[in-house]
Amino acid sequence: MSNGGPSSQTILVVGGGISGVSAAIEAAEAGQEVILLESTATLGGRVAQLNRYFPKLCHPTCGLEINYSRMKKARNLKVYTLTTVENVTGERGNYTVTVKTQPRYVNANCTACGDCAQATEAKVPNPFNYAMDEISAAYLPHEMAFPMRYVVDGSVIGTPEADKIKGACKYDAVDLDEREGSFDVTVGAIVWATGWQPYDPAKLTSYRFDSSPDIITNVEMERMASHDGPTGGKIVRLSDGAEAKKVALVQCAGSRDHNHLPYCSRVCCLASMKHAAYVRERYADANVDIYYIDIRAHDKLDTFYQRIKNDPQVNFVKSKPASIVVNDEGRPCVKGENTLTRELYEEPYDLIVLATGMEPAVGAPPVSLTQDDYGFIVPDEGEEDSGMISCGVASGPLDVSMSVQSATAAALKAIQAVKGAA
Amino acid sequence: MNAPTPTRKYDLGFARWVRDNIDHAERMNMCMQCGVCSGSCPLRNEMDNGPRKTFMMVRAGMKEEVLKSSTLWNCVSCYSCVVRCPREVPVKYILHGLLTYAIEQGYQEAQDTDNYKFASAFWNVAAGSGRVDERVFTAKFYLKYGIGGLISKGMANQKIAMGMIKSGRMPLFAAPHKIKGKGDLKKILAKAAEIEKTKHASLRDGER
Repeated sequence: MSNGGPSSQTILVVGGGISGVSAAIEAAEAGQEVILLESTATLGGRVAQLNRYFPKLCHPTCGLEINYSRMKKARNLKVYTLTTVENVTGERGNYTVTVKTQPRYVNANCTACGDCAQATEAKVPNPFNYAMDEISAAYLPHEMAFPMRYVVDGSVIGTPEADKIKGACKYDAVDLDEREGSFDVTVGAIVWATGWQPYDPAKLTSYRFDSSPDIITNVEMERMASHDGPTGGKIVRLSDGAEAKKVALVQCAGSRDHNHLPYCSRVCCLASMKHAAYVRERYADANVDIYYIDIRAHDKLDTFYQRIKNDPQVNFVKSKPASIVVNDEGRPCVKGENTLTRELYEEPYDLIVLATGMEPAVGAPPVSLTQDDYGFIVPDEGEEDSGMISCGVASGPLDVSMSVQSATAAALKAIQAVKGAA
Repeated sequence: MNAPTPTRKYDLGFARWVRDNIDHAERMNMCMQCGVCSGSCPLRNEMDNGPRKTFMMVRAGMKEEVLKSSTLWNCVSCYSCVVRCPREVPVKYILHGLLTYAIEQGYQEAQDTDNYKFASAFWNVAAGSGRVDERVFTAKFYLKYGIGGLISKGMANQKIAMGMIKSGRMPLFAAPHKIKGKGDLKKILAKAAEIEKTKHASLRDGER
């Protein structure tokens, strides 16, 4: 190490989504001490919120389960949920990281029996379903939560509801006196796997996202299609609950647009084709229109594109819609020019799904990181001494398999960094 | 082997010329033909091609068709295309630049469309008297269709004229509107034309 002082071989991974989990496990299985931080109450991140994912259209349960079992075997891996990075000082091989923990109000005695959730009437917006429905104020984040432990929402603390929740627990697992905490860790390298967030559709003013409940985003579509989503897996019009049999999928809602995200988010074309498959599998008589600038089905997934293209009830319309308007019957309509036929269209739909792009979730990082023009964390140019590494969508728009590849690469770079080999 | 007979004239240097000579047209290279401009255009049904196709035609070198098209005239400068374009192409400005060039080159005069007749009559009256008098302007516009045109179009629009007279929008007997100092206006316009000429010359010499 450059300062010749005491050095740490520990690797810190920030973010417990698929990338962070993969990077942490890979590094731990290679024999390193690893600390994994996650800001929410559970690991799994955005992947856990998908209904199914590429390349094989599996349910994410499967991939998460494999990772969790590897994680339980890795003795040298420590996981902290509800924990964020406050400050970082030092240099490669010797970073002092101050982390902050939020109270969960539930300790390790929890058996996930669910009695606490039954005991209270209080509801909070369900973050797992992008607030499309509500959940009990004492809740399990989702059925693949890790750790498998309930959370008590901070909003009920100090109210009689909190006492009901505590009273219902047979295992003395509810601890209402938990407070925010803070501690320091010393690590040799930091892997930033802070992921992404969906672009705010309200910013796409000509698509009038708030004008109808039947205009949703692609991430909400994933929840709606999931068996544990707000509709129990039914694809419906949110306005009246009727089956959504005429669906528009609008590509590049925010992406490839200099007024919004100038880059291609890379995953949306295939994600929307997956949504077409969800609708078509559910309703034999459903029709789906996909509005696109051009289709970017990368890699071997072109086969999936061909499959969807050959479905006579899925129609590809080469056009970036100019606007969305609500017609006299209250149905949202997609408006624009079909660039192949030159016809102007104004087509009403049961459901319009905006394929919103991905933007980096790390807003202002607690430490100076090299970020590109769009906020993605990129390697330091020419600074060989840095122990700061990024992976997954924190480093650029990637799909799940590419994120996992980048996570493995990041684990290797982190090991090289702490061993001084880089 | 017989070479195919071209049925249409293509000017392969046209796109480059437009990029170098029409204000803001260098951004046109960014166009990805997504269709947002034409889809947003309130006058798109009045246009033969619409902005998106016009840009493709410029790229294809369809100079004649572009410079004669009604798309150039029917833009009303609402700016929807400029605001929404995902590649920040100033669509409206480029269409207006193309129109100015089409007029300079005589394409529109040769074609003598309704649009051209209307605009030239309007400019003629405005530049001549400093104001547009409804009676003078209408007469000049209709006369562009000949004496027969003046009478038939006048008759067809009688109702509108009566309505305007009744509501005091068009006096029957007063002298036509004009401004004080018509001579000064002429000097201003002459100066503007001179500036425009030198500016265009310098633009075309690459001083951007």
